[in-house]
Amino acid sequence: MSRPGVALVIGSGGVKCAASIGLMRCLHSEDIPIDLVVGCSGGAIYAAAIALGLDAASAASMTTTLWTRDVTSQPDRRALLSLVFPKWFGFDGRFGLKKDTILNERLAQGFGNATFADCKIPLFITATDFRTGEQVTITEGRIADAVRASIAIPFAFPPWEVNGRLCVDGFLSDPLPVGVAIREGAHVIVAMGFESPNQERITSGGRFAFQLSSIMTNNLLRASFAFHGLAHHSEVIAVLPQFSQRIRLFDTGKIPMLIDEGEAAMREQLPYLRRLLAASSAPQTTGAP
Amino acid sequence: MVAITGSIDALTADTLVTALLDELQAGHIRLVAHFAGVEYTSSAGLRVLLTTLKDARQRGGDLRLAEIRPNVKQVLDLSGFTSILKCYAEVSMAVASFPK
Repeated sequence: MSRPGVALVIGSGGVKCAASIGLMRCLHSEDIPIDLVVGCSGGAIYAAAIALGLDAASAASMTTTLWTRDVTSQPDRRALLSLVFPKWFGFDGRFGLKKDTILNERLAQGFGNATFADCKIPLFITATDFRTGEQVTITEGRIADAVRASIAIPFAFPPWEVNGRLCVDGFLSDPLPVGVAIREGAHVIVAMGFESPNQERITSGGRFAFQLSSIMTNNLLRASFAFHGLAHHSEVIAVLPQFSQRIRLFDTGKIPMLIDEGEAAMREQLPYLRRLLAASSAPQTTGAP
Repeated sequence: MVAITGSIDALTADTLVTALLDELQAGHIRLVAHFAGVEYTSSAGLRVLLTTLKDARQRGGDLRLAEIRPNVKQVLDLSGFTSILKCYAEVSMAVASFPK
């Protein structure tokens, strides 16, 4: 009996995506290998870390170093002026209210010049084509560039060009890109997704925008997940951690808790995954990029 | 009313869909699925519900769910099923929801 191809898909969710480290810790301890990994937005960081073979401690450490509050501490004043006075300062598709200098430095520190060819597991990172809205699946080039494109949060960071396409955050086309794993021939798909939190109080334009973004993202997540779950010939196992605390954008101090809750969420699905893998005789995935 | 227990997934889907379609073919087109004993549902399980739902409605009936556990409800919500299926807190409410 051949082992079925198992894909891991890590959706968008900012720092909450650290829960995927716990998921992987669980699968490692149970000796269940992953045949391909897909990541979107915050999930792209962890998908890349997993594909490169980083252990749980190293992946957690890298994220804690990469994603700190000072990443968004540098406002781009010229961008703000161009927003208010577009005729005087010009305006184009590479708009972002924050400078991305620190972010790009951190990604370079975290991933160096590693490319997709260096991955131990086939890696697929999704972003969104800014000009057409299409999902872009990145499978070659520098991982730091692919992650940068995938986490190009609208309004905050400027879009990023990869392989000739100007890309924005992957969540805009699909917050949980299960379709990539289906297309690549995966049999069993373990999908870790996160709904965007609703704003408790709307006290600023920023919170107003975040709330609208959450509404659209969550509806897109449900619609896309529903379609792919029904379209897939085999099984999509949703792993949806329910965090006991509210997680904010820079709560990297909560990463140990996120990892534990991610592992607990995976352990809940483990009995079925084990039975499914034992019962299945489907062919292995051919998901190499 | 049909009571379902255990896991609705790829390993149990064939058995369940056969049982549900048998009920419909026997003329029981107004189905209430008692979900209190359903511990888990996966994408394959959702496909069973969709197949049954479409068949029931094509025959002029319906499939309605009652007493869904929170973890199962979460999957139904995420996959949009609660927007196309009628769900009730109790079996008696689901049964009463069908017109006399």
